[in-house]
Amino acid sequence: MPDFECNLKKFRQLKGMTQEQLAVQVGVRRETIMRLEKAQYNPSLKLAIDISRAVGAPIEEIFIFE
Amino acid sequence: MKKRKFVAVVLAGVVCLALMLASSWYSVTFNESRLVVPMNFSEYVFRIQDLPMICSISLFCLYFLYLSVLLIKGIIKNQINQPNGRYTRKINPKLGYLGFLGLTGFLGFWTYSIDKTFFPFLFFIFFGFFGFFYEGKMSGTLMDEMYRENQLKASAKANRISLAIIFLALIILGQGRIMVSLDFTLIAFVIAVTLAIALSLFLSQYLLYCYDHSEQDAESGE
Repeated sequence: MPDFECNLKKFRQLKGMTQEQLAVQVGVRRETIMRLEKAQYNPSLKLAIDISRAVGAPIEEIFIFE
Repeated sequence: MKKRKFVAVVLAGVVCLALMLASSWYSVTFNESRLVVPMNFSEYVFRIQDLPMICSISLFCLYFLYLSVLLIKGIIKNQINQPNGRYTRKINPKLGYLGFLGLTGFLGFWTYSIDKTFFPFLFFIFFGFFGFFYEGKMSGTLMDEMYRENQLKASAKANRISLAIIFLALIILGQGRIMVSLDFTLIAFVIAVTLAIALSLFLSQYLLYCYDHSEQDAESGE
């Protein structure tokens, strides 16, 4: 399992988006967003950037690697 | 395929099979089993009694050809309906029942005992069709990066297991001490390899399904 902390859920909810809406916007499945939020999946750089743009938060605040 | 067309295709298959059985019975009973048992075709002379068997064989070939055309048309239609190849192909999970065709591999024991033919052992590979059950369950899934990663992980693991089985079979059977003859060694090796490939085909789909539907995902997390 990837060793990082993920604040995606917090930023997504701040933006008022559902997992489904975010998934459609960044072109992945809802399951992928779910796993990302649980820090069970390590995204590619492209997906991380797409998510960062979609929720309007800096990438290093969404994914925190110790 | 619409249900009506599906029923028509199955019925046509049943009719072809019934005609084949009837003409075989006729040939065995009234025509010295011509065209049923193996015969030397270089000395073949046509007889009017051969006609039922020739007709049923032709009909069976035409039916098989029609099924092949249907299959190719279905594959092309699926590819057209899935732009950019971003979605998994749409197939019915019931196709997994085709895995039972693997049982035809046991015909090899019968053909080997009759004329030393062992190629039907290759039919064990059809056990791999059980993978359609899981592939069908994931029909039309968006192939995003997590899916592709899981797909690679699943096929790598399946191939590793399959290769390990083949390697073990090669080491064990290659010594030639376990089986009494070279023929049996070859048969055992063919069976081991075909089963390993079938296992790889099945496992790659099964593991992909497991990775993609792990227990953690049961809760919505919304």
